[in-house]
Amino acid sequence: MEALFINLEETVSIILFGIGFTMLLLHRNLIKKIMGMNIMDTAVYLFLAAKGYIKGRMVPIVTEGIQDVSAYINPVPSGLVLTGIVVSVSTTALMLALTIRLYERYGSLDLDQILMRAKEEERG
Amino acid sequence: MSFVQNFPFFSIIIAMFSGIISSVLSGKKARNVTFGAILIILILSAGVLHFCSGQGSYTYMMGHFPAPWGNEIRAGVLEGLTAVFFCLVMLLSVLGGMKHTEQDIESSKHNLFYIMVDLMLSSLLALIYTNDLFTAYVFVEINTIAGCGMILIRQKGRSLSSAIRYMILSQLGSGLFLIGLSLLYDVTGHLLMSPAKEAVAVIEAAGTYGIPMLVIVAVISVGLAIKSGLYPFHYWIPDTYGYATPAASAILSGLVSKGYIFLLIKIFYRVLGQENVIASQIVNVLFVFGLAGMVMGSLHAILERDMRRMIAFSSVAQIGYIYMGIGLGTQAGMIAAIFHIFTHSATKALLFISAVGLYEVSGDRKDYKSLRGSGYRNPLAGIGFGIGALSMVGFPMLSGFISKLLFATSALQSPSKMLPTLIVLAVSTVLNAVYFLRMVITIYSIPREKEKSMKEGESLPGSWNLRLAITCFILLNLTLGLFSQPIVKAIGNGLAMFA
Amino acid sequence: MFNMEQHLHLILPVILPVAAGGAMLAGKPLKENKRAGRVVLLLALGLELLLVAQALMKGGGMVFWHLTGTMELAFQIDEISVLFAALTSGIWLLVGIYGISYMSFEHRENQFFGWYLVVLGVLIGLDFSGNLLTMYVFYELMTLTSLPLVLHERTHQAVMAGLKYLFYSVAGAFLALFGIFFLAGIAESLTFVPGGTVTREIIAGKEGLFLGAVVCMIIGFGAKAGMFPLHGWLPTAHPEAPAPASAVLSGIITKSGVLAVIRVVFYIVGPDNLRGTWVQNVWILLSLLTVFMGSMLAYKEPMLKKRLAYSTVSQVSYILFGLSVLNPVAFAGALSHVMFHSLIKNALFLCAGAVIVTTGRKQVNEMKGLGKIMPKALLCYTIVSLGLIGIPPLCGFVSKWYLAAGALASDTGVWSFLGPAVLLISALLTAGYLLPVSLNGFFPGEDLPCGDCMPKEQGKKEPSLSMLVPIGILTAGTLLSGIFPQSFFAMLTGIAERVF
Repeated sequence: MEALFINLEETVSIILFGIGFTMLLLHRNLIKKIMGMNIMDTAVYLFLAAKGYIKGRMVPIVTEGIQDVSAYINPVPSGLVLTGIVVSVSTTALMLALTIRLYERYGSLDLDQILMRAKEEERG
Repeated sequence: MSFVQNFPFFSIIIAMFSGIISSVLSGKKARNVTFGAILIILILSAGVLHFCSGQGSYTYMMGHFPAPWGNEIRAGVLEGLTAVFFCLVMLLSVLGGMKHTEQDIESSKHNLFYIMVDLMLSSLLALIYTNDLFTAYVFVEINTIAGCGMILIRQKGRSLSSAIRYMILSQLGSGLFLIGLSLLYDVTGHLLMSPAKEAVAVIEAAGTYGIPMLVIVAVISVGLAIKSGLYPFHYWIPDTYGYATPAASAILSGLVSKGYIFLLIKIFYRVLGQENVIASQIVNVLFVFGLAGMVMGSLHAILERDMRRMIAFSSVAQIGYIYMGIGLGTQAGMIAAIFHIFTHSATKALLFISAVGLYEVSGDRKDYKSLRGSGYRNPLAGIGFGIGALSMVGFPMLSGFISKLLFATSALQSPSKMLPTLIVLAVSTVLNAVYFLRMVITIYSIPREKEKSMKEGESLPGSWNLRLAITCFILLNLTLGLFSQPIVKAIGNGLAMFA
Repeated sequence: MFNMEQHLHLILPVILPVAAGGAMLAGKPLKENKRAGRVVLLLALGLELLLVAQALMKGGGMVFWHLTGTMELAFQIDEISVLFAALTSGIWLLVGIYGISYMSFEHRENQFFGWYLVVLGVLIGLDFSGNLLTMYVFYELMTLTSLPLVLHERTHQAVMAGLKYLFYSVAGAFLALFGIFFLAGIAESLTFVPGGTVTREIIAGKEGLFLGAVVCMIIGFGAKAGMFPLHGWLPTAHPEAPAPASAVLSGIITKSGVLAVIRVVFYIVGPDNLRGTWVQNVWILLSLLTVFMGSMLAYKEPMLKKRLAYSTVSQVSYILFGLSVLNPVAFAGALSHVMFHSLIKNALFLCAGAVIVTTGRKQVNEMKGLGKIMPKALLCYTIVSLGLIGIPPLCGFVSKWYLAAGALASDTGVWSFLGPAVLLISALLTAGYLLPVSLNGFFPGEDLPCGDCMPKEQGKKEPSLSMLVPIGILTAGTLLSGIFPQSFFAMLTGIAERVF
């Protein structure tokens, strides 16, 4: 139990990941699914950012001349987070565009209803 | 450094740039650019394959940072072989489905399709060649988006709703993959495959981080398994393959899911260590779901009335075969699985493309009744479908037989899994035979008088590109069936180089 | 690899009919022209007979393809190949001659002859196969290429019959494939060696699985031979095809199932590995069951061609029974029955076909007075029927004698006398289902039940000469081989000695 509190960021991010994953998997509303997806991705970014952070060190941006390596935090995870955000923005955009199309066509955001109407449309 | 060593990077970048160029070109020009790009990449990949079979594998530094920090590409025999093969299947699929691509898509959006093809190819190549886990993640996402675009571009029928299902499942898979590699980064401190593997070896030797390692193996395997459509995460497959434009179906079923499986195998060997994966029992889980997929996919296919959805369900079964091979947990099983990747992409693409030839002479209807006698109306497509079906069923001298042989002989080497493998293999073969041969008979039977939609004897051979594609696919299949030995050897060499 | 010229005599008999058939199916000039089609057919069949004879005399073997590191496709000629290949090519020529006049009553005859030739090539390949894998390849090819013969009528019924044929054959073949995979994993090679290649050391520790695989192979290949439980396709598919096709399907292609079983049991697995096991008991039980059941069903069947098909089910299982007791004498009897049944069943089907094209009668009870219309054909029918029943001077007697003697001499417990008893009962049933046709045909009695039974135009209406001659030759073969079986049996006993 104590280990969970020491690694607070990791614990929180895993819980968030779980919430997002379940929402994406189980929720029927498309908008909420997309929210879930974003929560899931953000949880991973939190996790990565927490991994890169080292207490008492500064951001690896050179302002007052180059200092020793031990003065900076690990920059790699920050880079990963940036890349990840770009990826997740593009998938979110695609999902949202799809959702708009589906709403225009089937008049619903409920995935089950959409699938049902799509089947009906094909038959009729 | 030899000039050939640049080729993997060139092929990725050529595919990507031809996509970018295509965005400002007209449909026809985009098509030509794409064909040119795929051809060039095919030649480049053949060069890589040739180089690696002579000189062994190598890593290629991207940018200025050396090993533990920078980004790397790695090429070996297996990578070269897979790249050649994927290019070939991609080329033939686009060629065979060209006419329908043009019919299905609004003329102003033709170039968009070719952008997707280029992006798909570049991401597949990147998945094959990369030596960096996070790069792999990025290209997995690009692959997903390109795949989704390919499905979406045909705005008829249920393609929209199937695209959203595809996206949701893919996102679940990539989310798991992403958290898996973040955990791995946390534990090992590396994203490059080779140093990560060394770190994993140290961890395993020390016996620390038992549970995190187990979670990492599980999460990465399950994530990629979801993305490649392993049963029971298969329900997006029939809709997507069934409603996309034929070229897209062929590419999605033949290549996209295989790219993920290839990545999974690469991670098993190059990062986690095959022996650790086997020790973690995750392979057994994959094995069980593979077996279930083999049977359930075939059962669904038997119940299906629509030709393309039937072929799509058969993909579920074939993906099951591949995971069963991986799940055997032996070198021979892995070789069989990789060989089946090739078999299945060649055969399934052949089936989808031949199906096009068959239903375009049947008034674009895909149910059994309408397809009666279509084998006479388009003889080459009939032969192509027949050969593809026989290969899937496991007829000797075709590629499917060699896969089954490899699976069976590798099963004999692992005593505990021998019996279930052999039994399920036999059952699934018979089930395959039921639906594929029924379809073959259907296309060669004569429609009853009142149902005749077309006059008998009127044959429409289809466009030249369809015929060319079918012929090449048939040859590819025969090549895999008759000259399997060098390919199997190359796969074995490539796996040895992975370690 | 191999020297092309040196092995030409092995490849040509396979290639020639396939090429000729392919030309008839695909070639524009041959496809439509009936006369040219007939010339090609006869030329190909005649030449094929010579080629096969030459190949059999020269013998030898060759490897023509390495499929994987340990598996290869190879031809090898031994006594079994000689027996089956000679029988196949001879019968094919006779039925081909018959077919020319028979098929002139049907449509698309060149397409039929094309497939007919292709099947011949595949069958010769099957007979020449030197290992299990090659045999499996040709076995599957045979199923696929003989399918168009069943489908020839293209009616809904024919399609359903074809489907049934395909599913049973394919299911059987894949059952067998399961066994082949298993054997490929444990045996050193799949090459046919008299007496088998599997030693006791190899199977030590996995006897259960080994026997399971063998049973799968016997049942799987037995499907082609119409053995219970995969016999259901035979009475549906055979009568649906045109008469020449039913003749060779019943007479020759069912025998390829027998050939496959012989190759598996006596040339790979080894009879000693099966003697006294549950596999042998199951095998004997299934074959005897099929013998009895086939006869019973034939006895009840009103349609002549279907009745003959049921009779095939029963008779081919005589052969399987002879093999299953694993005794040299019964083995020789079984091999002889392969040949004799082939002659007889072909003659019977050809007679039935002749009746259909000349009078249009298909049911057994319509045959009254047939002796007045076509006495020669009916005489031949009667002689070969007697042969099948096993009346002494005719050949069926000899083979059944050997079968029964072998079974009695074998140490199979209760089967050694139960088997001959079943064979005897079945022989009685055979008489019961074959002879009524002759009796009613020659002695219709005074009161003909229907007016149609006599043809409107009174008098004889024999089938054409090209139909009668093949029937006659087959009948003569039945007679002669029954009277002079010695040298033939000497050869069969030789094979049996090598195998056991």
